[in-house]
Amino acid sequence: MENTSSDIRQLNEKIHQASAFVDLLTMELGKVIVGQRYMVERLLIGLLAQGHVLLEGVPGLAKTLSIKSLSSAINAKFSRIQFTPDLLPADVIGTMIYNQQKNEFVVRRGPIFANFILADEINRAPAKVQSALLEAMQERQITIGDNTFKLDEPFLVLATQNPIEQEGTYTLPEAQVDRFMLKVVIGYPTKEEEKLIIRQNLNPEASSPIRAIIQPSDIIEARKLVREVYMDEKIEKYILDIVFATRNPEDYKLNKLKPLIAYGGSPRASINLAWAAKAYAFMKRRGYVIPEDVRNICFDVMRHRVGLTYEAEAENVTSENILSEILNAVEVP
Amino acid sequence: MHKQQVIRRIFLSCLLGLLYPFSLLAQQAVDVTAKADTNSIRIGEQIKLQLTATLTPAQFKDPNFKIIFPVLPDSLEHFEVITRTSLDTVSTQDVHTLHQTFTLTSFDSGHWQIPPMRFEVITGANAAADSAVTLPIGIDVNTVAVDTTKAFKPIKAVQAVPWSIWDYWLYIAIGAGIVLIIGGLIWYFRSRPEKAPVVNTPTISPYELATRQLKTLKEEKLWQQGDVKQYYTRLTDILRTYFEHQFNIAALEQTSEELLQNIKPVTKLNQQRDKLRSLLAIADLAKFAKLQPTADEHEDCMVKAEEILEWTRPKAGATEEDGTAAEKQQA
Repeated sequence: MENTSSDIRQLNEKIHQASAFVDLLTMELGKVIVGQRYMVERLLIGLLAQGHVLLEGVPGLAKTLSIKSLSSAINAKFSRIQFTPDLLPADVIGTMIYNQQKNEFVVRRGPIFANFILADEINRAPAKVQSALLEAMQERQITIGDNTFKLDEPFLVLATQNPIEQEGTYTLPEAQVDRFMLKVVIGYPTKEEEKLIIRQNLNPEASSPIRAIIQPSDIIEARKLVREVYMDEKIEKYILDIVFATRNPEDYKLNKLKPLIAYGGSPRASINLAWAAKAYAFMKRRGYVIPEDVRNICFDVMRHRVGLTYEAEAENVTSENILSEILNAVEVP
Repeated sequence: MHKQQVIRRIFLSCLLGLLYPFSLLAQQAVDVTAKADTNSIRIGEQIKLQLTATLTPAQFKDPNFKIIFPVLPDSLEHFEVITRTSLDTVSTQDVHTLHQTFTLTSFDSGHWQIPPMRFEVITGANAAADSAVTLPIGIDVNTVAVDTTKAFKPIKAVQAVPWSIWDYWLYIAIGAGIVLIIGGLIWYFRSRPEKAPVVNTPTISPYELATRQLKTLKEEKLWQQGDVKQYYTRLTDILRTYFEHQFNIAALEQTSEELLQNIKPVTKLNQQRDKLRSLLAIADLAKFAKLQPTADEHEDCMVKAEEILEWTRPKAGATEEDGTAAEKQQA
């Protein structure tokens, strides 16, 4: 059904009201998380667009605190899994254990049965554990023995990767990385922010605890509205142009990128770019997507979906460099 | 008495008959010699040994006559052959001389003989082979007199050869040649006349093009026919293309917000920033949110676009400056 002008105006008003919680949520998280607004914003995009977030950053950047605070602010269940080389799939999803009294096998649910999962250092566990988690992320259900369990909504996985220690790690395969809607690279806080962090940590009593601002059901309602955010055909074409430019750069007069790109974005990239743009528009309290929304989230959606050739690596060309070139070449509608 | 005379004549005839072939051979004989330039050397010194064969003009012209010089191995008994020249011919009116020179040395002290050298001579139509032999040559090879009463002296150290520029003349010449060639090439490439850059003089200025396009857009009456989205798409495209050509701002690849940021360095355009912002905001809503602006808003946007064009209209000769300034700022 095609949206009319008045429909969009109504939707815009509706979203303007419904998205008010975003500012409240951000403020509430700001009580305990100093700086890192970018990471918090990306977490909310993942939450609203039903995607998962892969976070890359050195230790100590408040990754755990962020997701823990987010779950407290939404009154949702939080679970943290530290990935290690000896971790087994059963340690993540759960297993069947034998009950001697009842003389039967009963299901013991793993830590994945929560709303917010922090998969810390996901690349430290072998591929079978990564697969178990990523399958759950995709299907949003778990099968233990003969029983299949739907995971509670909202369900958000925040996986972290440490970019500096690569020894003894199991790098996520491209197909697995593609399942993450966003790959966010976070950096150190500024001097001013770090000063506040020190003060806050030296005097923890001074900061008030996180209150539950909204309920998980509100997030589910917000997701419905995100789905309704209007995306014009011109924006769809813009998204497709960006994704196709990663696959066939020569079609966009970017022949110099051809030897640097091993593979471009998959159709999942287009889908996620559209979803994330809608979620971003929602957070900006708009009922329609504009090119700024696409450009804003483009790097986080696309950076892990553009494969680099050896030539690019030898020349220290990053996927961000390639995406910048593409965004500067593709015409904005 | 008569009987004795007859016997004597018969005897003489037989003797002449026997000696006749020898006289013929004597006519064909070749004079070959081996001559050394010295008969006495010290150990390791060199001797020039010249082998010579002297032919008569008849022998020299005779196609069936051949003389083969001896082939000396690298080493003779007590002598070593160091060098050998090729065969040389010296011709005069009466005689033709073939000669070859060998350089020999010896490291054995004593009196030694250079052995006789055998030349092969082939004559006649039936290729009769004969040989001519030189006389042996006696050579005294003397050792250096050593005073054994004196103490042994150590081996002399390596002696530096006096340096001479002529030892390196070839390398110097090659180096100088390369330098000259490189210098010549550099001079050639620097001094050759540069191709005059092809200047594509636009037949129409960006301002004129944008003005014409706006006029056409007005005449098409798109918003009056309900095609509001197309109207604003065209309107913003005209402005973006104008900015791109006039001010070198990549406006077609920038979002509205980015464009408003990037016009800041272009003072003249920045003065129209508010108008441009308002126009782009309405255009974005019309393009991406299906907003239906009022007729006044449509007209107002067109007026704003025309005003922006008029304000930033380049004076004659100012186009390049503005564009370059903007480009520098962008860089």
